[in-house]
Amino acid sequence: MEQEGKMSHIHFPDGVLPVWLWVSGFIVAILVGTIFFRLIKKEELTRRLPLLGMMSAVMVLGATVEIVPIAYHVNLTVISGILLGPSLIFLATFVVNVILSLFGHGGITVIGLNTLTLSIEGVVGYFLFRLFWKVLKRLTLAIFLATFLALIFSTFAMIGVVSLGTSHYEELIHQESGKGLIGLEFGKEKEEHPKEGISEKEVNLKRFIAIILPLGFIGWLLEGIITAFICRYIYRLRPDLLHLEKASP
Amino acid sequence: MIQLSYLDYVAVEKKSFLHRLSPKIKIIGMVFVLFGLITLRNVSGLLLLYGMILALFFLSRTPIRLFPLTLYPLIFAILFVFISGFQIVFILLIFLKVLCGSTGVVLLLATTPYPSIFSVLGRVLPSSFVTALFLTYRSIFILLNILEETQQALYLRGGFQWRHPWRSLINISNAFGHLMIKGIDASEKMYESMVLRGFKNKIHYRGE
Repeated sequence: MEQEGKMSHIHFPDGVLPVWLWVSGFIVAILVGTIFFRLIKKEELTRRLPLLGMMSAVMVLGATVEIVPIAYHVNLTVISGILLGPSLIFLATFVVNVILSLFGHGGITVIGLNTLTLSIEGVVGYFLFRLFWKVLKRLTLAIFLATFLALIFSTFAMIGVVSLGTSHYEELIHQESGKGLIGLEFGKEKEEHPKEGISEKEVNLKRFIAIILPLGFIGWLLEGIITAFICRYIYRLRPDLLHLEKASP
Repeated sequence: MIQLSYLDYVAVEKKSFLHRLSPKIKIIGMVFVLFGLITLRNVSGLLLLYGMILALFFLSRTPIRLFPLTLYPLIFAILFVFISGFQIVFILLIFLKVLCGSTGVVLLLATTPYPSIFSVLGRVLPSSFVTALFLTYRSIFILLNILEETQQALYLRGGFQWRHPWRSLINISNAFGHLMIKGIDASEKMYESMVLRGFKNKIHYRGE
């Protein structure tokens, strides 16, 4: 149950993914960040920096406040994306991942990859919300669908990232088995059950996906419902923040 | 909840040899830890690295209350166990790598105030990004105060109860909504006062 809330995305820890992968993550994140930066005017960025800081802080708090009985924590990336816009949400997720990594909540080397997977939620959520709002004209439903689908996107992006490191995991499994003090002991064990050892020594992504997706579904639902209620609350008190057209939901 | 304010208090108030060390040296040390956990591929080497970080953790008299923070990333590491087909050596490797990283950063944070870290980062990262980091850090404390008040209100409204899950979800969502609106109001006021004090797009740290 403890893992449930985190299944809509996971924060990759340090040392798990291959170097080429997290270095590429940094390069892509910096490139994407530069493009988004170019899209915003400098004055606009300066003016909105406090708002960006505040929404990043909301996301950090969301990630750290556990709803105790179900051990779930919300990301609030989609609602932050709607309030900040696609360019600023990317920078915000970058900031959030740096701050969270300083608590050990996600690794430092994988800040780039974590930013890319998390910002997918914000950016995709923003555009989906605009689309659903235009089509459905119903706020709660539009935000729920946008959040739910955005989380599906980010979960599959995360699975994609994990699957890219397959050869690295195999390397780690095989490399350690034949050497080192502890490795010798396990080597003995393997000799007694050679067939089991061979079958067990393969990277099993299907098992990983089979665990992630059902738990993820609960996370997508909860996050979708909570984000929809938050959005409804904001619409009641400060509709201007959502930048919607005049038509009421 | 992450004990952010307590972590900040420990970083500022405690006076161990690690607290007195220059932030630059500690960040370089953290880079070495990261280099170690990336390059080391045997359990004994990683155990040694973890032992060294743990020794520093206790020698710097970092409160034990912060230790559980270092274990939190194991939740994410557990997922990788399913990939490996439960190979014990692989699990040990992954867990040790994760623990080395998380214990290292918690130790860095518990012995170095955030502004000092941002000040060092400001020399290599774009100023807008470092300003955003600082404002986020500042905003977390503003929100923590609002959250405290909101928690009281949430409690009076029934909080989270298993018997009423739907109502509980609405309560929690409203609390987050309230937090956001109050936070946005606070950010607008913060921007006004920053402009009044001459803010352009960079925050200057003491000693710069």
